[in-house]
Amino acid sequence: MMNTGPLMAIQDLARQLLALEAARAESSDGHVDETVCVCEKLRVTLSKFMGIAGFASLLSWALARTKAQIPSLSGVKVRTDGTLEGFDRVQDKPAAGKAGAVLVSHLLGLLVTLVGKPLTLRLVRDAWPDTDINSMDFLNGVKS
Amino acid sequence: MSRQDKVIIRKIPTGVPGLDEILGGGLPEFSFNIIAGAPGCGKTTLAHQIIFANATPERPVLYFTVLGEPALKMLRYQQQFEFFDPDKLETCIRFINLSQLVLENNLNAVLEAIVKEVEAVNPGIVVVDSFRTVVRKAKAGGDEMELQGFVQGLALHLTSWQATTFLLGEYVEGELRDNPVFTVADGLFWLYQQVERNSIVRKLQIVKLRGQACVPGLHTFRITQAGLQTFPRTFGLTGRTAKTSDRRRLSCGIVELDAMMGGGIPAGDSVLVAGPSGTGKSVFATQFIAEGLRTGESAIVAVFEERPQEYAQRASTFGLDLETPQREGKLHILYLRPLDLSVDETVREILDVVEKENVKRVVIDSLAGFEMALSPGFRTDFRESLYRMIGTLTRKGVTILSTVEVTESFTDLPISGYSISFLCDDILRLRYVEIDGRLRKMLVVVKMRGGEHSKDIREYEITPKGFVIGDRLTGYRGLITGVPGPWNTIVEKNKEIPGKTEIK
Repeated sequence: MMNTGPLMAIQDLARQLLALEAARAESSDGHVDETVCVCEKLRVTLSKFMGIAGFASLLSWALARTKAQIPSLSGVKVRTDGTLEGFDRVQDKPAAGKAGAVLVSHLLGLLVTLVGKPLTLRLVRDAWPDTDINSMDFLNGVKS
Repeated sequence: MSRQDKVIIRKIPTGVPGLDEILGGGLPEFSFNIIAGAPGCGKTTLAHQIIFANATPERPVLYFTVLGEPALKMLRYQQQFEFFDPDKLETCIRFINLSQLVLENNLNAVLEAIVKEVEAVNPGIVVVDSFRTVVRKAKAGGDEMELQGFVQGLALHLTSWQATTFLLGEYVEGELRDNPVFTVADGLFWLYQQVERNSIVRKLQIVKLRGQACVPGLHTFRITQAGLQTFPRTFGLTGRTAKTSDRRRLSCGIVELDAMMGGGIPAGDSVLVAGPSGTGKSVFATQFIAEGLRTGESAIVAVFEERPQEYAQRASTFGLDLETPQREGKLHILYLRPLDLSVDETVREILDVVEKENVKRVVIDSLAGFEMALSPGFRTDFRESLYRMIGTLTRKGVTILSTVEVTESFTDLPISGYSISFLCDDILRLRYVEIDGRLRKMLVVVKMRGGEHSKDIREYEITPKGFVIGDRLTGYRGLITGVPGPWNTIVEKNKEIPGKTEIK
């Protein structure tokens, strides 16, 4: 039986970040999509570290994977500066809601593949410096 | 200016074993340095090792990446090294990518970006990797003066902010001349990776270092899981005075041979045991070690041709127990990697044990095996390296015995093929000799620098108890040629020549 613990841990962290941004958008009465907010925060931190082109490459790969799972995202693109274009205009709202978690999971999963969990978590914490990210499950892997 | 008025340049540790010694104590604080070399020679690993050794939350490290190895991949690979501490990332070490800036703007904008980050963070160390891409940008613009201005501005600013700086770049030696970057730099560390036949030899040279005396020349280094390890040509003994030898005589474990050597081997001597295959060089070396162990001295045997277990097993056939002292930590049989080895690495390995265990006796068995284990590039320097190795070990008061195989000649008595007899204080020569239709063994003490010794040529045998020294071989002439004749032939001939003295 495949061990889905690590994957679930990444998905949990992705959902945690999306929930954080959703709560902030709600409290500020803003209408910015939480997926766009998460990607933007990661973009600011990661592009300083790996360059704009580097972040755009990672996000493009994550988006391609997400589109393969959720075809209704076909109109969404990654701009050359690493920002998401068209995500907030996706008509299928339930699909967009699901897509956010998938996209961020793919992005975090790619980081884990490349630099490992501890460094990925460090980069995420740098993007949300004032937030206590629950990392226990992420580092230890959620039991499947 | 009196000595106390001079500014004291603090030296910061590199975190690289051996490198502080090469640099004359460490890296000069606030210096502006270049780490140069071809791709794959270890520049980034060296820089990482230095930053992980020095980064603190109070004085963090700023690591600027510019169109070289992407930071993500850099971290992916560098975290494999033991010195990599993930806890230091972000709290003590910050990576900043300047690739886009370099592509889209001029050098002034790059300088401004670096200055802005430095002023915000107050780093202790700043690294630009790869600086070569910044230089290429300037050269593409055709403005050499802009590059000079940029380098000077960068050096000035980073020194003002009390940062020690490293610019990493892929350079070849031909670029050393008339290069504004090298002119401004306080330190220039050049890493080499030479391929010689099937071997790779890594060497490091401090081409330039302002303000302190470094050890000149090329120093071997190796990259392992622990990172870089350098092997200074001085073997870490710079400034240390030679240990005064007590000059007592050490027994070699064979009473008759001790007597032939004037009472034993003077402590701290270098002894060469030369002879063809099968004459018992290793047996003699083992008896020398076993005698030291018996009297409570720690010892090292460096073997190249057989594994330690095999060496100990062979000793047991002569009734010598090397297993117990090994278990007790009194004997270290070092089997040195027979691949791309350098003499400096070997000496470092031996010296580490000598210092840790207060070793008094060292055997190198054999010099031929040692030479074969070296990469081709190091073999060409073998004699010079042996000179340094023997000098280093005897300086520490260690008595070193080396075995060397010689091709038997039946006209003369060669000592070794390395012309190293001048390095040795004492020489013992073993050889075969044909007498009465039998191949017998003889030995002679050729040289004892410490004083008088027997000039006798003695027969010996290797028995299950080791060396058994027989009587002086008399009645023969030309023993050292290996094909002697009886003395009486000469006596008879001399009788026929008027005026010739009869030999008795």
